[in-house]
Amino acid sequence: MKILIVEDEKPLSDSMVEYLSEEGHHSEAVYTYNDAVEKIRMYQYDCAVVDINLPDGNGLDLIRMIKKQSITLGIIIISALNSLENRIEGLEIGADNYLTKPFHLAELNAHLKSINRRISYGGNNQIVVNEIRLIPDEHMIFVHEVQVTLTKKEYELLLFFIANKNKVITKAGLAEYLWGDYMDLADSYDFIYTHIKNLRSKLLKKGCEDYIKTIYGLGYKFEIN
Amino acid sequence: MLAISLFVFLIGMMAFYYILRKQVDQNINLELQNRASSITKEFDAAHSYANQLSNMSDTIIITPLKNFQKAEKFSDTLLLNPETKKYVLYREHGFVNSIHGQNYYIQIFKPLEESDRLIVRIVMVMNLLVMMIILTLIVVNRYLSRQDWKVFYDTIAKINNYEVNSDKAFELQESDIKEFEDLNRVIVTMTKRIKNDYLNLKEYIENASHEIQTPLAIINSKMELLLQSGDMQEKQYKSVAEAYEASNRLSRLNKTLILLAKIENRQFPELKPVNPAIMINHQLESLEDLIHSKKIKITKLLDPEATISVNPYLAEILFVNLIKNAIRHNLTGGHLILELTSQSLKIANSGSSTPLDPEMLFKRFHTSSSSPESLGLGLSIVQKICTMYGFQISYRYEDELHVMQVNFSKA
Repeated sequence: MKILIVEDEKPLSDSMVEYLSEEGHHSEAVYTYNDAVEKIRMYQYDCAVVDINLPDGNGLDLIRMIKKQSITLGIIIISALNSLENRIEGLEIGADNYLTKPFHLAELNAHLKSINRRISYGGNNQIVVNEIRLIPDEHMIFVHEVQVTLTKKEYELLLFFIANKNKVITKAGLAEYLWGDYMDLADSYDFIYTHIKNLRSKLLKKGCEDYIKTIYGLGYKFEIN
Repeated sequence: MLAISLFVFLIGMMAFYYILRKQVDQNINLELQNRASSITKEFDAAHSYANQLSNMSDTIIITPLKNFQKAEKFSDTLLLNPETKKYVLYREHGFVNSIHGQNYYIQIFKPLEESDRLIVRIVMVMNLLVMMIILTLIVVNRYLSRQDWKVFYDTIAKINNYEVNSDKAFELQESDIKEFEDLNRVIVTMTKRIKNDYLNLKEYIENASHEIQTPLAIINSKMELLLQSGDMQEKQYKSVAEAYEASNRLSRLNKTLILLAKIENRQFPELKPVNPAIMINHQLESLEDLIHSKKIKITKLLDPEATISVNPYLAEILFVNLIKNAIRHNLTGGHLILELTSQSLKIANSGSSTPLDPEMLFKRFHTSSSSPESLGLGLSIVQKICTMYGFQISYRYEDELHVMQVNFSKA
């Protein structure tokens, strides 16, 4: 997946590039509005990560321009502005998602992957990880071609793990992805554990290998060799 | 003040003149009557010269003097009234006159009774007049001073109700009194300065909070990357994990503070009819995990028709904070009772067996010992939203339940 990162804070931009590159994505970083316009005109990307406040322009204008020129591009806004109006405006003009800074890289990655799936496969796609086969649009999971029934949260959890496979996933990042701003994260740690326990036992029952590793005091890792 | 006094004085003078005039007239009338009656008597006793004149004012006593020993004099004297047989006070004038070389001492009399009465009446009228003036002045004075103090009391009331974060302009009434004007001027200057300081501080906090977001994002992302690099020892891993946890906490705290500042700045002006029942049901669904994990039994009595006119986003925050709070401080296997009417929302939960201190409850960063992870800002936000819409929020402890009640009616 080719990703353009439009963010003027270089260290943050570097982090995103590094994380996404490890995931096998080809990501390019630009730091200004004008550079972003130029890159979008010259090359083709699958996704763009856009900061709203840029030194020489507004990220929202960039999105408007992209949509006006009917460029097919998944867009995630990242902004320090956490207001409903900004969020609504961003989504209305055609962004696929809106993340408030600070955000978790794992979360960004998971969102990018789900956008990519939607764009590139038009919905008819599946994710295959060894013996696990996942059909995201129908919320169906097969292990060794036997269907596994998961709850909504367990399903989302698995999707998040697969998106960030072989990465350390912090409990905080996991909680924020699963529950959003709904609860103080501290509350949710206990039942993250419960959900993971249930998911793991359901997968194991169907003969799935135990991929979910617990990293003590920190989080989890979905380990695939 | 001066005009009113002069006016009262003028009226008094006029009244005084007429009353005095009337009294003098009366007096003269009386005198004339006396003379009339004495004339009548004289007619009746036309020939009895021996008879003493009934009215002493007509009496003239002439005494021949051997030598010139008596001088002119004025004196008071008592004379017998032959009719009433009573002594009456007279003013006597004695003088010497010489007729054909013979000196005579002549005494004439004037009764004092009438003029006495006149004097008494004059004094009385005078007193009355003075009293009237004094009374009027007191009344006028009180009225005027009340007018003046009104400005003062108005100032006090306005200072008492002064809120530094309100948008209303702070204006004081004008006064004729220099001291009050001075006072008001000083107060207005002071409030302006306080307000400016407050706004500066607020702006600073807002900017700071926003500026903090980006460095926090960098810190978080770098630590997340650090955690991915597998070449760390467990000890280092643990340190990074803890630092990551802390910076996460900081970002949540910062987000919440920004939200609080926004509510205070009234940056949610849009009002819409909101159905709390739908919202609460939706939130209970979202909090399902939390509720299940604590095995909390929920009793819902929600009026599906109830609507309130608020900002939907703030309503969401208000309800979710109240519900989260009731869950977080609940016992495992405890109760949560939600009662919604068009007037109020009541959220009751089981919990610690001691009532909480309502004074401390809504304070920022006040956290109970049972839940040290919480930021202690939830109820602070709840209160801010309630204050903004004029809702009444109250806490009580009854039947071993902690009850939070929000009355939607405006105070």
